[in-house]
Amino acid sequence: MSDTKAPSVPSMTRWRRVYYLIPVIALIIPFIANEYLLWVVNAILVYTLVTVGFNLIIGNLGQLAFANTAFFGIGAYTTAILMVYFDIPYALAIVASAIVGGIAGFLASVTALRGIRLYYLAIITLAFGELMRWVYLHGDKVTDGSDGLLLPKASFFWLPLDSEAPKFYVFLLLTVLVVKATSNLMRSKIGRAIVSIRDNEAATASLGIYTARYIVLAFVWSGSVVGIAGAMFAVLTERVLPEAFGLTEVIIHFGMVLVGGAGSIVGSVLGAIALTTLPEYFRQFPGMDELFFGIIIVLVLLFLPKGLVSLLCRISPVFNERYYRD
Amino acid sequence: MEPLLKLQDVSVNFAGLRALANVTFNAHGGEVRAVIGPNGAGKTTLFNAISGYVPASGGAIHFKGDPIHGLAPHDISVKGVRRTFQNGGLFPELTALENVLAGLHVHIEGSFLGIVFGSKEAREAEREGIAKARRLLDLMDLGAIADQPVKDLSGGQQRMVEIVRTLAMDPPLLLLDEPVVGLSPPMRDRMMEIIRRLAGEEGIGIMLIEHVIDLVMSGSDVIVVLSSGELIAEGTPEEVRQNREVLEAYLGHV
Amino acid sequence: MYFFLQLTLSGLTQGAIYGLIALSLTVVYRATTVVNFGHGDFVMAGAFVVYVLVIYLGMSYLPAALLAVVILFCLGVGISRGFIDPIKSGPHIGFAMMSISLGYILRGGARTLWGREVFPMPRVFDTEPIFLGELVVTGDVLFICAIVGVLLTAFFVIFYRTTVGTLIQAVYQSERGATLIGVNVQAFHQSMWGVGLAMGAIGGILIAPISLLHPDLGATFLIRGFAAMTLGGFGSLGGAVVGGLLLGVAEQNLGFYVNSALIDITAYLVIVAVLVIRPAGLFGKTVTVRM
Repeated sequence: MSDTKAPSVPSMTRWRRVYYLIPVIALIIPFIANEYLLWVVNAILVYTLVTVGFNLIIGNLGQLAFANTAFFGIGAYTTAILMVYFDIPYALAIVASAIVGGIAGFLASVTALRGIRLYYLAIITLAFGELMRWVYLHGDKVTDGSDGLLLPKASFFWLPLDSEAPKFYVFLLLTVLVVKATSNLMRSKIGRAIVSIRDNEAATASLGIYTARYIVLAFVWSGSVVGIAGAMFAVLTERVLPEAFGLTEVIIHFGMVLVGGAGSIVGSVLGAIALTTLPEYFRQFPGMDELFFGIIIVLVLLFLPKGLVSLLCRISPVFNERYYRD
Repeated sequence: MEPLLKLQDVSVNFAGLRALANVTFNAHGGEVRAVIGPNGAGKTTLFNAISGYVPASGGAIHFKGDPIHGLAPHDISVKGVRRTFQNGGLFPELTALENVLAGLHVHIEGSFLGIVFGSKEAREAEREGIAKARRLLDLMDLGAIADQPVKDLSGGQQRMVEIVRTLAMDPPLLLLDEPVVGLSPPMRDRMMEIIRRLAGEEGIGIMLIEHVIDLVMSGSDVIVVLSSGELIAEGTPEEVRQNREVLEAYLGHV
Repeated sequence: MYFFLQLTLSGLTQGAIYGLIALSLTVVYRATTVVNFGHGDFVMAGAFVVYVLVIYLGMSYLPAALLAVVILFCLGVGISRGFIDPIKSGPHIGFAMMSISLGYILRGGARTLWGREVFPMPRVFDTEPIFLGELVVTGDVLFICAIVGVLLTAFFVIFYRTTVGTLIQAVYQSERGATLIGVNVQAFHQSMWGVGLAMGAIGGILIAPISLLHPDLGATFLIRGFAAMTLGGFGSLGGAVVGGLLLGVAEQNLGFYVNSALIDITAYLVIVAVLVIRPAGLFGKTVTVRM
């Protein structure tokens, strides 16, 4: 029985090329937006990477591992420390944040490998994040504790990042590169292996796939991506504070993944766009961001469990992300 | 001729419970060998031990002459042993094509960096993999549903996709755990036909766990009977049909 | 030596409360297979309810406490019915997400209403401390230990010696079987949520003498509850209590003898240590799954 819903594959590829237009069109944003709006757009770019990285673990690998804030903070502090104490140029600091984030991802994966799953994994990764925050707070000789570490003026190679517009171009470049690389990763045998672990780990091993390798890979990739996002965040906010990486931040990241659509890169972008403006608005009122995000997630779980991207998929199957490339 | 699979005195213990006790037999390529027995006899445990999901507490298992007891499941699979699962081993969110591609995972070349940067070699390997997967699905008349998530397929179609995926790498040894459960009678016959063809024409060694006795009797070359973890009979269907111990195991004391 | 005993005594007192919270978490988990990640915030809510009743409405302590427990019980039933049942057929990960979010709603709500203030909880009674040799035992300590002791004993008796308890175990082991013999599993789940939350509320109320009330109290409760469960063995009722007691003692002693900053993170360290060294904890079962 044939199903007219099944997408004809070649035409999908043609449609997907439209995605490449988006960053090109985005190039004009600095010419039409004021400084504040640009800052918001930059924040959206940062959170896009945060969500893409987190979604890889929650949506694609299917593990409830909340190490995201740990990766984010580690990336931000790595960049900040390297720039403040060692005068490392920003471009190199970004690379360092990616590497250190990857190492943190590796450490987080060790627990998943030991068969620690579901609730244990959630708890221990939350503990990891909180331990890191304790380190930022109490390592004040290096991190300036709760005052936060102030960043010096940054330049990306020759380009001074002294206003939002140059930051935008750098962030856009990084975001496009990382999202494209992640997309390549997922639309390959690696992506299939990761998702099959989520769907049926035992069967995955029966196909000759070494599950441990792909669990570690997913965590390391996620750690690196979110580490880069942390490096961007440091330059965006120009001061790195321990509070920014606490339990409130966890629910924000989580909300973005769920609202956008777990397991979907397009969903991650949507979630970041939809929810980035709000934490900044709510930060003025203590407690409102937690309240808001909590309510949003509950509503999504009850009424739109597959996120905003599922609405898009009803319009056109183009947005339905598959795990192969032709 | 060296047997394809050799089990010598294989035992499996779970916290004091003897799931398998001193099981010994050989399996050969081109043969359909059924494993039957009452519930709890240890049939799935046998498959789990052979495929590495459960460690053997005693004895030795050799595949094509190499010892495989103690190896991890993915290592055993790479050597050429593939299996299906009682509760269905498909990846529900993936399409039939993607499921089969997962079956071809080991075959598809492409380094990590190649994949991330989209190198020519990686993309070429992926295209080859996709072409092969589609061919395999077409062979089983599943081409039309290749791009549907398998959770949307009917039970019969799912079983077929699982078989295609399991066979994707031409494994010399195939372990099928209740392959016809939930299938309609015509589909069951079709499945048994496919199984016989795989053994007869392709020379694959097939072991299957099954409860539908007449299928087992008509479709298999050798039957192995387990009861309470022990191998109580091994022989052709006729021999087993007349075996007294087998009757007792199934029906209680006669 | 004297210091050590004093520290251990206060550690046991705190630990008793941690044990109670861990036990209430375990009860909900055992009865419904859902770990309520929002539990800490519900416990905090229980304490806040008492605060509101006593300070704003002028009730006296004991009735307020009892009313708070009842309110939390109803809240538990409501949550199970309104938020957990509808997503029952989804993946297990959904429950965790739902319970986390509900906890955040409570925490955010409390913070919106009360901001950054911290509140001293109303005192229960003012009694003279007792001196055992050189040990100081305050009325609060006695009160807490007494209540927790009574509760735990009552709980274990009910669980292991009455038909209700056997029912709980039966439903946990086989829901379908329980439905066949006429047990309304849905109502059962809902009431167990109620029981779990009510027990947690008692824990929250009991912290009054030894802690200040503030919206982030929930997080500290939760993490200590988890640490106690992890240490004692996930899913083990007795383990949750023992884990809580040990955690309390460890916190006090580490905080004094090593570094006071450690009190905050002892729970995290315990979690990481246990999961790395022996994931099953003290009384949990080791299950090896080969992948």
